[in-house]
Amino acid sequence: MHPPVDMVPGGTCSVPGDGADMGVLLVLWGQRLRRDRWQLVSWVVAIGAFALFAAAAVTQTYGNAAARTEILQVAIATPAILMLRGLPRGADQGAFTFFLIYAFLALLAGLMSTFLAVRHTRADEETGGAELVAATPAGRLLPNAATLLHGVAANILVALAVFAGFAAQGLDPQGSLTAGAATGAVGLVFLGVGLLVAQFMGTSRGANGVSAALVVLAYLLRGIGDATGTPGADGTTMTEGPASWFSPIGWGQQTYAYSGNRAWPLLLPLGLAVVCLTAAWLILRHRDTGDSVWGARPGRAAARPGLRSPVALALRLQSGSIIGWALSGMALGLLAGSLGKAVAALDTPGTGITAVMRAMLQAQGISLTQLMVSVIFSMAGVLAAACALQAVIRLRQEEAAGTAELLLAVPVGRVRWLAGYLLLGAAAVVLVIGLAGVGAWAALAGSGDASMPADALWETALAQVPAALIYLAVPALVFVLWPTATIAASWALLALGVVLGIFGGMLGLDQNLRNLSPFTHTPVPQGDATDWSGAWGMLAVAAVTAALAVAAMRRREVGSA
Amino acid sequence: MNTVVHTANLHKHFGHVKALDGLDLDVQRGEIHGFLGPNGAGKSTTLRILLGLARPTSGSAAVLGFEPWSQAVELHRRLAYVPGDVRLWPNLSGGETIDLLSRLRGGTADGAAYRRRKESLCQEFDFDPAKKGRAYSKGNRQKVALIAALATEAEVYLLDEPTSGLDPLMEEVFRRELLAAVGRGATVLLSSHILSEVEVLCHRVSIIRAGRIVDGGTLDSLRHLTRSEVSFAADGLDAQALARLGAVHDLTLDAGRVRFSADSDRIAEVFPALGALGVQGLTIVPPSLEELFLRHYGDASAAPEPEADAPSGGHGSRRHLLSARGRS
Repeated sequence: MHPPVDMVPGGTCSVPGDGADMGVLLVLWGQRLRRDRWQLVSWVVAIGAFALFAAAAVTQTYGNAAARTEILQVAIATPAILMLRGLPRGADQGAFTFFLIYAFLALLAGLMSTFLAVRHTRADEETGGAELVAATPAGRLLPNAATLLHGVAANILVALAVFAGFAAQGLDPQGSLTAGAATGAVGLVFLGVGLLVAQFMGTSRGANGVSAALVVLAYLLRGIGDATGTPGADGTTMTEGPASWFSPIGWGQQTYAYSGNRAWPLLLPLGLAVVCLTAAWLILRHRDTGDSVWGARPGRAAARPGLRSPVALALRLQSGSIIGWALSGMALGLLAGSLGKAVAALDTPGTGITAVMRAMLQAQGISLTQLMVSVIFSMAGVLAAACALQAVIRLRQEEAAGTAELLLAVPVGRVRWLAGYLLLGAAAVVLVIGLAGVGAWAALAGSGDASMPADALWETALAQVPAALIYLAVPALVFVLWPTATIAASWALLALGVVLGIFGGMLGLDQNLRNLSPFTHTPVPQGDATDWSGAWGMLAVAAVTAALAVAAMRRREVGSA
Repeated sequence: MNTVVHTANLHKHFGHVKALDGLDLDVQRGEIHGFLGPNGAGKSTTLRILLGLARPTSGSAAVLGFEPWSQAVELHRRLAYVPGDVRLWPNLSGGETIDLLSRLRGGTADGAAYRRRKESLCQEFDFDPAKKGRAYSKGNRQKVALIAALATEAEVYLLDEPTSGLDPLMEEVFRRELLAAVGRGATVLLSSHILSEVEVLCHRVSIIRAGRIVDGGTLDSLRHLTRSEVSFAADGLDAQALARLGAVHDLTLDAGRVRFSADSDRIAEVFPALGALGVQGLTIVPPSLEELFLRHYGDASAAPEPEADAPSGGHGSRRHLLSARGRS
């Protein structure tokens, strides 16, 4: 029997304001700062450094306005570039940098904010920490206010970091301030989204998944809006399509930092943040601690017949995330394939820009569609790598949570346990990349684009597999030799690989440094001239590393904690 | 082969910490062997080594003749384990977890018989198998592991504080099931710090402290080392009269009752004196394992005590031992 809501004594719903509550709020905030100190510093420094390096690369590579104009003209003719980058607003150095990097910065700020929100709300309720705190005079609500304060402070830091990164490269201070505020405002929206989603989802895994997917959706909506925008008369500016207006990241772009420095579009993210926070607050006031709007569904009283091996269990535990990665891969494939037609339509004699590109591509012996596909498929390779390392992270989580012990106390050996996850991870890699290939193939066939032969498409897909397998084998070795570092090391290695291998060129990094990333060695199919040595080399590295991990597992104790 | 579990001079070190420091443990076929000790004494570490989840630093361990670290899989076909703190997969229901573990143990070949057994256990333990793992309370998580262990037969049961979180009714169900398993010829190693449970169930006990077995044997043999508590109404008895009780320990007169303790194996010697005094409201509380425990909790020395053969000297040493801690 639940008491009617209005019987809940109003006095216990502390509202920050009186002195004692203020003290408690500061203690709670301090605890959040303490828990997040490394994480928060890493996010803020990474976002600021990303802004700094991007601005520096623009200075280095596109130092003069003529070069920037040329690139912008290519970009406006190429929806894929607009999709990934942003909205061209002129050849000014600041506006050009904003076009190149803002959407990524906003994406990062959004992810930081949702993870922060869920970590201090739903995750705390799940582990029972929230209950301990709620039993003190802090109550049920004040900890959420502290999370809000913490998140707002984090996004102010992000805004300052972006401002500092751009301004340090000599970009216009007012534009840099606008860019920083636009990044922080997107972070605030997703802080609110994360807090709201945490009220609905019963698990932190679910809340993180849904809110991160909403961040990615905002990025994609903005991309569609930008790719379908209207080019301006001067060939270096565009006006966004309607889809951008449904995305908080799109709203950030509407500030036209450096070219217009408009502040009013930021009222939209601030308004949405307030709406989300109010909704979250209303739900929070009326729900039990640990409860959620979408409650837990009952399970099966007996297992399906197939659930009878460690691999079957691993699949059961990870099927949700594997399906998510695979669908993302398929979406990327569809995008890659459908861009072919748009590009082909532009690829007619008479448009100067594409003539230049066509000459360049013909020299390499590949079509424009093939270039698009190989660029976008490198993203599918990153998705597959992330999916692979999650399989290994799951192993570590099973060990830390103590559920591994249940399994290893029945006739399942350590090596078989590890090998099952590695097999599943490898299969997932093939699935993610395979579905990207299927998506691209279907889109190409659907649009009647014949400029990319099917075997070239499958070669491009296949080329992504070895790098992803490295991200299965190396985390597995880390898991066996240094278990407590598994999660942090796996994600750090992937982030490093992406920065060095995929953004390395744009950031103007040294080739030796870029060679450290597996993605640098992913072959780019060029018909018979394709150099597959990188793929074979990476396959060999992955196989040897995985074999080492399995061998070392024989001597590895499996513990909890 | 009647020794089912055997360890000899077993050591397990974590850095400088000696979790096990020369542990010698023997469990005979068909017995319920109590494995008693305070938190941190090394009970779980021992069980993890016996399961092959952890590797001994030195010394040997054998279960059913298998070396657990290298032959874990063969061993686990004939063994069932219940951890003290059961963790479940949050998105698997309890029923699914029980089925999975039973199938992996190969105990579901006869599907119909297994399902009947599982259902009757769920009923006895009053357990709802259709909830997700994350939704169970501690006691219900414990039931998942207990039902999974009992649903298919095993030769050896390793139970690490298996009833933690269960209510007394469920403890009773657990006892019944365990006795049934032993009736079939199974062997049980039951780690616990719940003394009443061990007293009811176990044929023999081993007491572990700081990584070594400090005492062991049948409960009766251990009771030789303890005292029974005697009390009766004071009703006009004075100190002079009480002096006739002879060599008893800790004689007190408080709140109208006289209390003293007497060595358990010599309790009959005080009956004539009690009879001569004509005492009223006599109660004699038999020694509990609490006492055994107290002896070893506070005991600074892991070696057998010199006064073990002379129970009358035991009490003074207990006080001393409680105050002097941690020489090892």
